[in-house]
Amino acid sequence: MAMCKDIVDNIVEYIESELDYNTLQELEKHSGECPECQAFIRTYKRMLELTGKLRERTFVTPQIRTRLKDFLKSQVSTN
Amino acid sequence: MWETGFLRKIISSITGGKSNRESSSSTPDEKLIESFINENDEGAFEEIVNRYVDKIYGLALRITRNQNDAEEVLQDVFLTLAKKIDTFRGEAKFSSWLYRVTANASYMRLRAERKHETDISLEDYVPYDDNGTLMGRVASKDWSLRPDKALFSKEAMDIIERAVEELPESYRVVFHLRDIEGLSNEEASQILGISVPAIKSRLHRGRLFLRDRLSDYFHEWSK
Repeated sequence: MAMCKDIVDNIVEYIESELDYNTLQELEKHSGECPECQAFIRTYKRMLELTGKLRERTFVTPQIRTRLKDFLKSQVSTN
Repeated sequence: MWETGFLRKIISSITGGKSNRESSSSTPDEKLIESFINENDEGAFEEIVNRYVDKIYGLALRITRNQNDAEEVLQDVFLTLAKKIDTFRGEAKFSSWLYRVTANASYMRLRAERKHETDISLEDYVPYDDNGTLMGRVASKDWSLRPDKALFSKEAMDIIERAVEELPESYRVVFHLRDIEGLSNEEASQILGISVPAIKSRLHRGRLFLRDRLSDYFHEWSK
């Protein structure tokens, strides 16, 4: 019989639908009856949604680009 | 001594804006590199710059956690690109090669400055108790049903950044490549020079740690 530990230990495969049928059935039977595991799965999935959004953040300012260009120009003049 | 011709072309490609080459947005990196080398197509290189300048800086910042160091790594990586681009023959995926150069330059900088973190292992990190249950540990801090407007706000994104920063370095870099950059286990393995099982393990432990930290932060935030 599956328990919370099994949900946690198999969460990556569970999210990515890589579990075999029997294991999946067992885990879903447990999570269906366990509010803690339901919250764990929900927050885990939500975390992945949110961290994926970090990809859209831009850090390189026009000033950094300008300094990059100036640096590379200085390398041309020294070679 | 190295060929400065490529460097001059690269400099003229760093214009600070988005590439005008609408049609090149779906062109594979390797094709753009080929156009740049064989046809002197500066627009192709401009597209490469626009695709990767943030990714290079972002990975460097994730490893070094210092803006000045990340900027110097960015400069080092473009210099390496200028020196070696004509030797790139497509044996490896261009993006993997570029990420690897960036990670190496970042680690070299940390070593040179003796800033290398003492890596804390999360291999035994689990959210459940000794009996293997989550009883009383998750549901009371469930933040998943909060509205998108709150969770995707700038304040929430800053909280997430702070939580990612708390990951030990070897987990943080794997998390960055897999979950922020969206690379595969195999690509992350090639970039960092560690096995796929090690990538999977670090990703799993890192995510468990991060989910817990986010729960703590979001719980505090709601008070």
